[in-house]
Amino acid sequence: MTHHPPHAIEVHHLKKRYGAYTAVRDISFTVAVGEVFCLLGPNGAGKTTTTEILEGYRDRTAGDVHVLGFDPARGERRMRERMGIVLQECGVQDDLTVAEVFEMYGRYYPRRLSATDVIRLVELDAKTTDRVRSLSGGQRRRLDVGLALIGDPDVIFLDEPTTGFDPSARRHSWSTFRTLCDLGKTVLLTTHFMDEAEALADRIAVVAAGEIVAEGTPATLGGRDRATARITATLPAHLEPSALPEFASAQVALHGSELEIRSSDLPGVLHRLTSWAINAGISLDDLDVHRPSLEDIYLELTSEITDPRVQIPAMSAHAPHHGKSTSK
Amino acid sequence: MSTISTTASAEFRPLSTTTSTESDLRLVATQIGFEQRAFWRNRTRAFFSVVFPLVFLVVFNAINGGHHITELGGISYSTWFVPGILAYGLIMATFTNLATSVAVSRDAGILKRIKGTPLPRWVFMAGRIGSTLVTAAVLVGATLLLGSLAYDVQIRTSTLPALIVTVVLGSICFTTLGLAATTVIPNADAAPAVLNILVLPLTFISGIWMVLSGAPGWLDFTAKIFPVRPLAHSLQHAFHPATTGAGFVWSDLAVLAAWTLGGLVVCLRWFRWESRR
Repeated sequence: MTHHPPHAIEVHHLKKRYGAYTAVRDISFTVAVGEVFCLLGPNGAGKTTTTEILEGYRDRTAGDVHVLGFDPARGERRMRERMGIVLQECGVQDDLTVAEVFEMYGRYYPRRLSATDVIRLVELDAKTTDRVRSLSGGQRRRLDVGLALIGDPDVIFLDEPTTGFDPSARRHSWSTFRTLCDLGKTVLLTTHFMDEAEALADRIAVVAAGEIVAEGTPATLGGRDRATARITATLPAHLEPSALPEFASAQVALHGSELEIRSSDLPGVLHRLTSWAINAGISLDDLDVHRPSLEDIYLELTSEITDPRVQIPAMSAHAPHHGKSTSK
Repeated sequence: MSTISTTASAEFRPLSTTTSTESDLRLVATQIGFEQRAFWRNRTRAFFSVVFPLVFLVVFNAINGGHHITELGGISYSTWFVPGILAYGLIMATFTNLATSVAVSRDAGILKRIKGTPLPRWVFMAGRIGSTLVTAAVLVGATLLLGSLAYDVQIRTSTLPALIVTVVLGSICFTTLGLAATTVIPNADAAPAVLNILVLPLTFISGIWMVLSGAPGWLDFTAKIFPVRPLAHSLQHAFHPATTGAGFVWSDLAVLAAWTLGGLVVCLRWFRWESRR
């Protein structure tokens, strides 16, 4: 079973149905060893279902899935010894201290990291002797990350790890996640935050209505690198359009003194425009270049999906307030 | 951001790894240790499961201490009440305690988290059950000690084997039923209500709080087919001075064994590791 696969995670035509509802229609992707791969999509897109099938929590309806060469549906202990999971909602034994929790969970793994190292890595060293109950939401999330790390896993699953965080806490936790990436771990991240995907992932797959609608690096996703750029500038008043230089393969429009050029050859157009302006003694003070942001691409990709089932409330009711919500 | 991650990884690398395999049985022992630590630290839970039954023991003895029970051959109130409250305490420490803790852990996602680790599920459950039995043993010891020292209740050597067998079987029975009860507890908030509905009425008809010599036949029959009265009655029988022989009440033990089996079937068939959402 444990042949060395070229990929840490392989998913081929995965399908998952809950009764009449299809959570995952047809999803295929591979994640290379050491790669940070992100499933980006709105709530109910099928990200968590896919992740939970890979983690061994859910059975699949159809398709082929391998994690480190194992079939997660078989729930083998040797597979779980090599994976770390950060679930969306996960309580820990509230009445134990941080150090005790790391000691206890560490014993489950035959190969494990030093608890002291991991506690320092997730910046809980000041809380070692505190009960888990007393931790804040952000500290609990760091505890989750630490517990996912304690068994020195080869693959780590991060399922919407910053949902419910304020922006500064999110950015702070990214640095913790980056450390995982720097340790050479393979990471499968799911999120509905574009900036999170862009900041952390080597490769992103946009998921909508149970299917991957686009895949690429943060820079190339959805043809973002090849997409038409828009160049705007204000020209001196009463400039004749004929005074402008020729732009090959570009649309040029002059609205009064507002110049707008659309082109997929950004460097060429910029070069012609700026050299012309310098020769003509025109300052082009408010010269601006617009490229579609990852958010533009994402919204465009996911808005094409008009399937009403995306809105199923049960699938979108994911932990509105994290950390404290689960323990009573 | 990249500066932060570089500093962090430079500072922490290399992380030291340890390799050692612990046997599953050792893991069970470790689990029991951590479960016990967590249990006694949670004051409310410890009070409810262990101190509460002892408070009943003291209060009821204070009220009725000097009385003798004519329906039962004139034995002292304490000799009758201590084994009854022992049964009640055992149920609190096993059934109520375990069912509540499992329902809370399930709702909090602890069971789901465990499922994602290499720890075999049976090891986790054995740890939780083992810890419950340790708690029950502490309560049984405290009840018997308090009963014999403060209320002069004699533990008879002739019926001691029957007492031990009943306590052990009763603990196993109500532990199993506690796990089975989690299948009908919808969420952690509902746990106390559901468990009280299941247990309290039975304790009233099972001769724990008062002697039920005048109860109608159907009520008596109902009590006898549920597990609370067999446990209480069997213990009371072991303490009764007039009991001759070893004091085993086989019919009571058979009912407890049957409920244990039934509970086991329910657990194996319907036990859930994740909460319903």
